[in-house]
Amino acid sequence: MQDTAPAPTSSPAARKRIRFKGEWLTGYLFILPATVLIGLFGLFPIVYAFYMSLYRWRVRQGPFVGLDNYQQLVGDWVGAASFIGGLLLVVVAHSLWIGGLRFASGWGRWGRLLGALTLLAAGIAISLGWDRLMTTGDRDYFASLVRTFYYGFISVPIQIALAITLASMLYQNIKGRDWFRMVFFLPYVTPAVAGGAVFRAIFSPREERFANQVMTDLGLPAQRWLYETEPVSELVVNYFITRFGGPGAELVNFTGFWAGPSQALLTIIIFGIWTYTGYNAVIFMAGLANIPKNLYEAAKIDGANGRQQFFHITVPMLSPVTFYLTVLGFIGTFQAFTQLYVMRSPATRDAVDTASLEIFDMFYLRNNFSMAAAQSIFLFVIILILTLYNQRILGRRRTS
Amino acid sequence: MTNRGLLRRRTGSGPSAPAFKRDQASGEAVTFQWSHLPLYIALLVGAFVSFVPFFYMGSTSLMTLGDTINRQVLPDVPQWTNYVEAWTDARFDLYLRNSVLLSAITILGMLFTSTLSGYAFARIEFPGRNVIFVILLSTLMIPGTVTFIPQFLMVRGDVIPWGNHLDTLHALTVPFFATAFIIFLFRQFFAEIPKELWDSARIDGAGHLRFLVQIVIPMSRPIVMTATLLTFVNVWNEFMWPLLITYTPTWRPLGVGLYTFIQEAGPQTHLLMAGSVITILPVLVLYFFTQKQFTEGIATSGLKG
Repeated sequence: MQDTAPAPTSSPAARKRIRFKGEWLTGYLFILPATVLIGLFGLFPIVYAFYMSLYRWRVRQGPFVGLDNYQQLVGDWVGAASFIGGLLLVVVAHSLWIGGLRFASGWGRWGRLLGALTLLAAGIAISLGWDRLMTTGDRDYFASLVRTFYYGFISVPIQIALAITLASMLYQNIKGRDWFRMVFFLPYVTPAVAGGAVFRAIFSPREERFANQVMTDLGLPAQRWLYETEPVSELVVNYFITRFGGPGAELVNFTGFWAGPSQALLTIIIFGIWTYTGYNAVIFMAGLANIPKNLYEAAKIDGANGRQQFFHITVPMLSPVTFYLTVLGFIGTFQAFTQLYVMRSPATRDAVDTASLEIFDMFYLRNNFSMAAAQSIFLFVIILILTLYNQRILGRRRTS
Repeated sequence: MTNRGLLRRRTGSGPSAPAFKRDQASGEAVTFQWSHLPLYIALLVGAFVSFVPFFYMGSTSLMTLGDTINRQVLPDVPQWTNYVEAWTDARFDLYLRNSVLLSAITILGMLFTSTLSGYAFARIEFPGRNVIFVILLSTLMIPGTVTFIPQFLMVRGDVIPWGNHLDTLHALTVPFFATAFIIFLFRQFFAEIPKELWDSARIDGAGHLRFLVQIVIPMSRPIVMTATLLTFVNVWNEFMWPLLITYTPTWRPLGVGLYTFIQEAGPQTHLLMAGSVITILPVLVLYFFTQKQFTEGIATSGLKG
């Protein structure tokens, strides 16, 4: 219908051109609704968030302040540059390591050495930059980034390890595979608010609730779970001190980065693991289906047992999927909102709020729109580097 | 469970070949083997952990307040009135209606924009096609944390002078009408439709729109199903956006309704769990009936991502 009928022209080339123009118009009309919507609600907000971050903006737009919001956020530009530069150096180090910048034969070994050195430099840059950000910048924000880091570094590896184990078990010749898969996948489709409500009830500080019942059945003290702001490491050590230390033993008090996450955050991490393990397992199963069967048959002929097959065939063959899920998991961590928002309480905000909640509060509670925008742009840069890293690796795999 | 074979056959058709279709068991019949006993035990433990929260929720939702304090695993007498209370007093009737309405409208809008654009990106040649597609896809990398503030201001009418749309039905649905990921899925699907079909349709004098509506869409059942399910779950589970832009119960969906209920219910866990059951049940029922399509859709799309 949209196609203009071929006009009676003399040359076939002209006819073709007109037909193509009609087709162009159809194409543009077809993509118009989606493009307008995504442009309006997906792309434009990025530009506008950056625009907002350059103003003083509390509920209503104020005067232009340039980079003042960023200045206030990071405190000191050297720290920020060092931190972001260090993150980028990790990407460079990786490509050096895998020989992405190979110039001549025999480069491989030097590439690895250089890659290792670059990684070391990246680590130094990140940690030095981080120190300056923490001392001169917005402490609350960077503390929330640390909690995001805990969240990611604890939940993602556990999810992946559990998922790969589940997937390879389900992949055996067992009865009721569909049934198991369905049960493992259930948490993923559960609305996070409802799941969070259930976990809140289970991990309530009240003694009669499920988690504390299990604790007391095991002979352990009841915990405050979601209301506990102290780090888990401290709680565990203090438990042993009170248990075995005798009457005069002093309790420890851990603070700082190496103290690790609070018990409240750990409870939320447990919820995250419960939610996403099944999802990861389903993707791993799809990956398993792509592993050639004859690899296992050859291994069996060579006398490899199940464990050897798992570690020498399954795990290596699944490594691209593992990588994909790891990066996806970290990006998801940076964006995690609902689970944390539902499970936190006013008293534990300093113990559980990750970056996205900090930004939300800056906007919603403190009404500092421009600062929230600046914080979100900073977070976006970090996520972007992670995503680029992911894309590079996946892109390389696709071409090779 | 009896219709599983039917579902499997149905999902088998169409270009997006499900990743599980191949039988992994290399043709062996699935039988119980004693050597697999540890596997079954491990899997059962896993299934137990997965399932315990659901059991806890269902059981607690039928208890009296006294039962919840008395460390009971099951209620003495199932209190179905808890549901009545949550349903009427806590307005879960309204929230459920809202969630159903929001999902239905969003799914229709999504199908409209995504079939059209997916088709155009797959099968119509026009200048800038790939550039536009890549730009749209790049929005997948953009975290919601960055976009929600400008989106909120836009809906409030601060950015574009179109008035305040906070707390309206269209502000809750229209932004979700188009997502790059769903368009990507449609494009993948449409790209694999044989070219001969289009050639013969063209000879019959059909344009792109007629070809799309009469030939392509009837063939696209699997992808329409997958996209519908994914969108449904996304809308049903969406939380931050409705939390931001609804301030009366008029259009408030279940998630936000349940959240406000958590804030208000305090120690009345049994009512809270009844509300959670109402929130979860529709998704679970849908999942039970479409689980093959569901997991396969997610697995294949997840791997391509």
